[in-house]
Amino acid sequence: MTPDAINRLVAQLAKLPGIGEKSAQRLAFHVLRSPPEYARALAAALIEVVDRVKLCSRCFSLHDGPEGTFCGFCNDPRRDERLVCVVEGIADEMAIERTREFKGRYHVLHGVLSPLEGVGPEQLRIKELILRMQDTPIEEVIVATNPDVEGEATALYLTRLLKPIGVKVSRLAQGIPMGGDLEYADQATLARALAARRDL
Amino acid sequence: MERFADEALVLGTVDFGDADRIVTLFTRGHGRLSAFAAGARKSKKRFAGALEAGTHLTARLVTTHGDTCRLDGVDVIRSFHHVRDDLAHIARALYCLELCRELSRDNQPNDALFDALVHYLGLLDDKKAGPTSLIKFELDALQYTGFMPHFSPCALCGQPTGDRPRFDPEHGGVVCAACAPRVPRGVAARPEVVDALARLQAGERKPLPPELRARSRELLNLFIAHHLGRKLKSVEFMEQVGTD
Repeated sequence: MTPDAINRLVAQLAKLPGIGEKSAQRLAFHVLRSPPEYARALAAALIEVVDRVKLCSRCFSLHDGPEGTFCGFCNDPRRDERLVCVVEGIADEMAIERTREFKGRYHVLHGVLSPLEGVGPEQLRIKELILRMQDTPIEEVIVATNPDVEGEATALYLTRLLKPIGVKVSRLAQGIPMGGDLEYADQATLARALAARRDL
Repeated sequence: MERFADEALVLGTVDFGDADRIVTLFTRGHGRLSAFAAGARKSKKRFAGALEAGTHLTARLVTTHGDTCRLDGVDVIRSFHHVRDDLAHIARALYCLELCRELSRDNQPNDALFDALVHYLGLLDDKKAGPTSLIKFELDALQYTGFMPHFSPCALCGQPTGDRPRFDPEHGGVVCAACAPRVPRGVAARPEVVDALARLQAGERKPLPPELRARSRELLNLFIAHHLGRKLKSVEFMEQVGTD
């Protein structure tokens, strides 16, 4: 008989994305075999994340400051507040930040429009983006949603809302990735790359 | 384990695990089927953007012990990527895919529905499909799957539907005022809407004015929701973003 405590841990771990029953068991036994301090530190980190990490009330990125305050991106005076990059989720924000090329601010939608999943504008942080336009002198919005059907639908919808209020809306360029292989590129990617070709 | 290739349209995908996808395909030879695409979210070469909803392709499949096939590879026939240039076109394309996903059946080929969907996506891609053509597609799709609504004459008595018709999905369409008491759940329909739908069903290609179009789609949404047992998600999306 496996102790109930282990069964409970396995059941909780198996709820994590990409973790099946077997992986959950392996992780549980790893925790059990590790020094007790490791398990306590892991538990404390999990509790801390739940208790302290919140959404920024302006850009809806993550931050661990007091409730109602802004995140590091929104508080950083070196960042250009006239330029806002709209991303689908936190992982995309981190990916853009890793480039060290973008010096503006962010707005996290927490999803994309998805007709087949029934996700409409109401379920995303779109209304908050429009309200943000009234408080800050935003001149350009870069829509950095994925170049798939849902991402394009979201970009087109945002364009429809933002263009009439005089904001420049741009979209991340699409085409062949660095180190990519033309032979394996699909026709849509190649067509976009041709359409967005640039002078040398 | 049998290997086969079939012409298919991607109806939708669901992410599975860290790198895989379950793809719902509408195939010409095998009807609707689900296929497991291993590594589809990571591989840049094997599926390279081909598993987007609406892509027309040749799928290389392998049957497995369960209901889900294994997708070994694809060759894109047409990606309809110009559909993505317009929000209304995206909404219409995804609505048609969802409608076909719900109307088609596993392992039951439907050539007429397949051809109609390929044709309509082609019209959207070529920017030749106006809003009325969506209603025509809905009527065709319902006809090809055995759900054809009846607009003229009265579905119960066979007499002309008159100037106070009622629409009742349960009885298959429009009934006349004299038969109205027999369809307590029927809704009032404007005669010009009923007439427009009957003409579209008969093959007329004249675009409908926006008001007539909106009322026609209301009746069709009611009919489709009744027969599928739920309102399609993409219908709500179209309402929210204001496209028809």
